[in-house]
Amino acid sequence: MGIPLKKVDLRVDAGGGLKLKNPVMTASGTFGYGVEFEPYMDLGRLGAIVVKGLSLLPREGNPPPRTTETPCGMLNAIGLQNIGVEAFIREKLPRLKRFKTPVIANIFGETVGEYREVARRLDGEPGVAAIEINISCPNVKKGGLSFGTDLREAARVVTAVRKATRLHVMTKLSPLADIKVMVRAVEDAGTDSISLINTIPGMAIDVERRRPVLSTVTGGLSGPAIRPVAVRCVWEAAKVARVPLIGIGGIVTASDALEFIIAGATAVQIGTANFLDPSASVGVIDGMEDYMKRHGVKKVKNLTGSLG
Amino acid sequence: MSEAVVAHNRLIAPGYYRMGLQWKSPGVTPGQFIMLRVSADSLDPLLRRPFGVYDVLRGAKGIEILYRVVGRGTKIMSTLRPGDMADIFGPLGNGFPAVKDPGRAVMVAGGMGIAPFYMLAKDILKRGENAALFYGARGRTDAAIATDFRKLKGLKVEVATEDGSMGEKGLVTDIFGKKAVWLAGEASVVYACGPSGMLKEVARISKKNGLRCFVSLERAMACGIGVCLGCAVRTGKTAGKGTDRKKYGMVCSDGPVFPGEDIEWESL
Repeated sequence: MGIPLKKVDLRVDAGGGLKLKNPVMTASGTFGYGVEFEPYMDLGRLGAIVVKGLSLLPREGNPPPRTTETPCGMLNAIGLQNIGVEAFIREKLPRLKRFKTPVIANIFGETVGEYREVARRLDGEPGVAAIEINISCPNVKKGGLSFGTDLREAARVVTAVRKATRLHVMTKLSPLADIKVMVRAVEDAGTDSISLINTIPGMAIDVERRRPVLSTVTGGLSGPAIRPVAVRCVWEAAKVARVPLIGIGGIVTASDALEFIIAGATAVQIGTANFLDPSASVGVIDGMEDYMKRHGVKKVKNLTGSLG
Repeated sequence: MSEAVVAHNRLIAPGYYRMGLQWKSPGVTPGQFIMLRVSADSLDPLLRRPFGVYDVLRGAKGIEILYRVVGRGTKIMSTLRPGDMADIFGPLGNGFPAVKDPGRAVMVAGGMGIAPFYMLAKDILKRGENAALFYGARGRTDAAIATDFRKLKGLKVEVATEDGSMGEKGLVTDIFGKKAVWLAGEASVVYACGPSGMLKEVARISKKNGLRCFVSLERAMACGIGVCLGCAVRTGKTAGKGTDRKKYGMVCSDGPVFPGEDIEWESL
């Protein structure tokens, strides 16, 4: 596996002008607007920060109960509660952009027009490095997953956002999509990168009361429980993808992250693990560096798709 | 996140434990909580558990929590021994606000809701103010966890049990309700913690009698720091500039202590 190294190169190019100092980002919906984590870690160490999904107008989210723990994971049905794109730009971005870490704005709309408007509002806003399109949220009635499983609808959203911004466009896929054809569809529509997977629709029942645990009946499953599904999705996507892939799904340790990279991801996002340990991402970065030194891997990009 | 060492883990009544954690903690306000990872090496249970701070260890060398074994997480906790490591972080959330010159501070607790009041009672008594605790439990066994409170000099303790095996038979809201008019005459402030139904009733009685009331809510939490947005409660604050609409408050970061009138009780 090569000779041990003293210094390694963690930089990656996520395409479309998005260059990262390391391949570890935080996943949308698990890292607030970034600033909440300032007391717990150095935000400057992250490859990128992906903020909570933003919509054109503020959304109040779903009624409680919104979350429940499941074996090695959790179900959530937050319903994209967020302060709206304007408040984000005004109240959160000024503080966030002081760190030497690219900020990726995750966006959401109930219609194609709403996606386009949010993207347009963020375009050219100093401090925003990229837009991640959420077409895979299972917890909203309109938009979200209804775009993410339909090839034509997904392409319409990506095309509209692509036209509305010069920023890097990342598209976040659902594991429910037909991965290979969906990868092609969003690539043809102009996405610069693809992140996958969003949560897997799931459900829990309170048997004593014979009632669903979550107010919305179903929710999105995340955490280590979904990692094998996510690794498989990235591996499938890598067979056909021409743009860089960002692996997401149950990553807690560097070893977990490396599974995705070896399967074909250029970078990864850390989600539910941020709840267990607010500085989990930093642990993943450090662990990845150790692995590379141990295995004599000079550049992390050489690990992408290195499955034997 | 932050390593703590188990100082003691004592069974104080059947199913109830008090765990001391040696920990270099910043100052704690009564009513704040910590997030404890039950098993750092295992991914199941996955999420941390929130625990209200029961007391501060002598010399501020750590904290103590009170817990009841109810599920897998607390069962694992009960097996921890002095010297074992525990992964915690905090203190988190907003504690009980100190009210200026209350006639009397009245704590109303139901079941495990008693946990945050030990520290609060000690603080109030230290300030030389009058304090009373109304405590409701299912029966004598559960009521035994109030023993420490009886040792606090100057604290008036009244107990109600559902089966009548200790104190008055009935609910804690019954004994609180009977005293409410008298307490209102003293311009008392009410602090309550316990099941939702009990808190709703305490808030109602307090409002009716013009008593200031603060409730501490308990909810399952994933993060404890206001980012997962899981522990939402309807706070009814729909006003705002349209961009900061806040119909839901987060128990972890906006609470766990809320003014009683801020909660939309019908939604719970």
